[in-house]
Amino acid sequence: MSGVKMAAAGAARRPRPLWQEIWRQRSAYVFIAPKYALFVVFVAAPVIWAFLISLQEFRIFETVWVGLDNFRRVFGSDLFWVALQNTLHYTSVTVPANILIALVLASLIFPLKSGAQTFFRAAYYLPTVAAAVVVAMIWRWIYNYSYGLFNFVLESAGLPRINWLGSSAYAMWSIILMNILIPPGTGVLLYLAAMGSIPQTLYEAATLDGAGGYARWRYVTLPLLKPTTLYLVVLSTIGSFQVFTPVLIMTQGGPGYATTTLVHLIFNTAFLDFNFGLAAALSVVLFALIMVFAVFQFRWLASDIEYS
Amino acid sequence: MTPTMRRVAALVSTAVVSALLAVPVHAAWTGEIVLWDAPRWRDEAGDQFHWIKAKIKEFEATHPGVKVTLVETPWAELAQKLSIAIAGRAWPDIAPVDISGGAINIQYLRQGVVEPLDSFLTREELADFYPGALDAYTFEGKLYGIPTSMTVHSMMLALDHFRARGVQVPPKGRWTWDEFVQAMRKLTYDKDGDGKPDVYGFTTYILKGYYEAWPLLYMDGARPLSPDLSRYTFDSPQGVSALQKVLDLKFKEKVAPMELGSADVGGTFQAFANPEQRRIAVEPWASWAIATLRTNPKYKMDFAVVEYPIGASGKPVTIGGTGGWVVFRQPNKEKLAVVVELAKHLSTTQEQYAFARFYGTFPARKSVLPLDPYGDNPQMQQAAQMLAFAEMVPMHQNWRQIDERIQAQLQIAFAGEKSAEQALKDAGVEAQQFLK
Repeated sequence: MSGVKMAAAGAARRPRPLWQEIWRQRSAYVFIAPKYALFVVFVAAPVIWAFLISLQEFRIFETVWVGLDNFRRVFGSDLFWVALQNTLHYTSVTVPANILIALVLASLIFPLKSGAQTFFRAAYYLPTVAAAVVVAMIWRWIYNYSYGLFNFVLESAGLPRINWLGSSAYAMWSIILMNILIPPGTGVLLYLAAMGSIPQTLYEAATLDGAGGYARWRYVTLPLLKPTTLYLVVLSTIGSFQVFTPVLIMTQGGPGYATTTLVHLIFNTAFLDFNFGLAAALSVVLFALIMVFAVFQFRWLASDIEYS
Repeated sequence: MTPTMRRVAALVSTAVVSALLAVPVHAAWTGEIVLWDAPRWRDEAGDQFHWIKAKIKEFEATHPGVKVTLVETPWAELAQKLSIAIAGRAWPDIAPVDISGGAINIQYLRQGVVEPLDSFLTREELADFYPGALDAYTFEGKLYGIPTSMTVHSMMLALDHFRARGVQVPPKGRWTWDEFVQAMRKLTYDKDGDGKPDVYGFTTYILKGYYEAWPLLYMDGARPLSPDLSRYTFDSPQGVSALQKVLDLKFKEKVAPMELGSADVGGTFQAFANPEQRRIAVEPWASWAIATLRTNPKYKMDFAVVEYPIGASGKPVTIGGTGGWVVFRQPNKEKLAVVVELAKHLSTTQEQYAFARFYGTFPARKSVLPLDPYGDNPQMQQAAQMLAFAEMVPMHQNWRQIDERIQAQLQIAFAGEKSAEQALKDAGVEAQQFLK
């Protein structure tokens, strides 16, 4: 009898074939089907199409299959390496800075009362809905050499003016500074939500063990925020690798190529040089770079933390 | 037949013949024509597309069954939108394109995206266009558009600063480099009395695809490419000396602000024309600025137009552009004939007169000048004289990339990070790969 029970239990554990599982969950699949259809049409298909274009010389009435030639041109181009270096420079500073700022701000806001928390949530999140073009235009004024806000402040303090956007030495740092000084609203919001999900019992246990405020933050909050940190790091890295609007509006990639980033280079290659094959190859390389970074970040920051 | 009946018969027959003559003979095709256009001059209601809308109405009235759909496109987006449309094989039937300005890649001409129009224009019609205007639309012996207007870069002088500093406008609009520098020294001054200059004599910007500063680099005789377009030549002694002179305005003479050579086109114009700033006395602009400074209430100012300073070449050289209508590939030849009729309808002598009068451009047709479009516009009259010294940018198939490399190095030189010689030499190393 017990043997029959064990056999039945073993049969129950065996996973169903995929089609059976889909059929069993068919009503759920019907509901998500429209979203998946849109994903296939507007995301998956263009990505696959971009990869195919990258293997072709794109002419208007015919396309010529050139294999990996476009990729050879990408890696043999000085401009690609300059753009990659600029993009890595931008990403390596803005990602850690944004994560750190979001964490600090959320940690300062979380202990506040509900009303104050709501105010700060809104205050930090609202700027993120402003159009990137408008923000970049305002910052171009802030950085203006003759009448910009920053140089006015520097001059008032008796310091020399800085050619923020006109000098190769400062231009990329100016764009980075702009990104850092705009509060990372999404990060703050996600960290606050994650902090709210940490069970109070863990803090009570830590307090009983004699942990002070900083120790509770360091040894309870911070480790339990790891999944959120991973999510933010990956999202922020993807966003930073794709930096474009401030470059286009504020510097046009200059002076020289001091602020030319990969996406700006892709844009120029496609819509100014009209070389869609080469631009697609650049896009594929960028896609691969982001994927490699994301995989490493998942491995480095992966966590099996679960709490309820 | 009584005399009255004869008069009635004569009147009727005259009316019939007149009516037949009035109806233009055109192709029988009917359907939709997609026309892109960008803002022109404003009407009283502020509509910058009123001109093209009126022309469309006229055309539709004389072509029953033809519907012209207008797509309003800002100038700043036109080239990119066209590029995307071409890539998607969804181009308009007709659009305003300056081929020499790079909005249409020469490869596209070779691939047949644009219709050659030679067979649609008679010898008499072609004879009415200035050769330079036709040249701008001619590639490998074929005419790829109907030119409507020409523009030229010239120096704009804010006369309030000239009066304030007692500086004379160059007689007949002509000055040498030394006279120009002397004037710039006087025009750089401390207006608010804080001990530092807040008005500067001169500034301009450096940006790929824009050529306001380039006539200054031409002034000693240098050109970016050899006449056969096979070699880079901007690093010649004439090129280096010209660039050095312009750099000296900023770094040695200090008659130009730090922004000289930045990529900020809008900021440069605002510094000159915005009444809240007006901190630059002289700036070079394309002739569209003449119409803006004369008629736009926001920027209306007292200004004069003069030539670029004369350098060692002995000529007040400048750079020009040509605007016109381009007809895109039409598999249906009957439709093509109607689209070309529309292109012609938009570029008649009358239309070019209107452009010259209200839009700050010079006509591409000789028949416009006798109509005296600039009778009450001394600035356009002055700029028109510069057409004789206007040159087009080199029509090389890789000019976009060559131009970008040169402009990038110029930006670095204007940032004070490279010498004139080194910047032009480095530009040559990078440009040469596109000349092979």
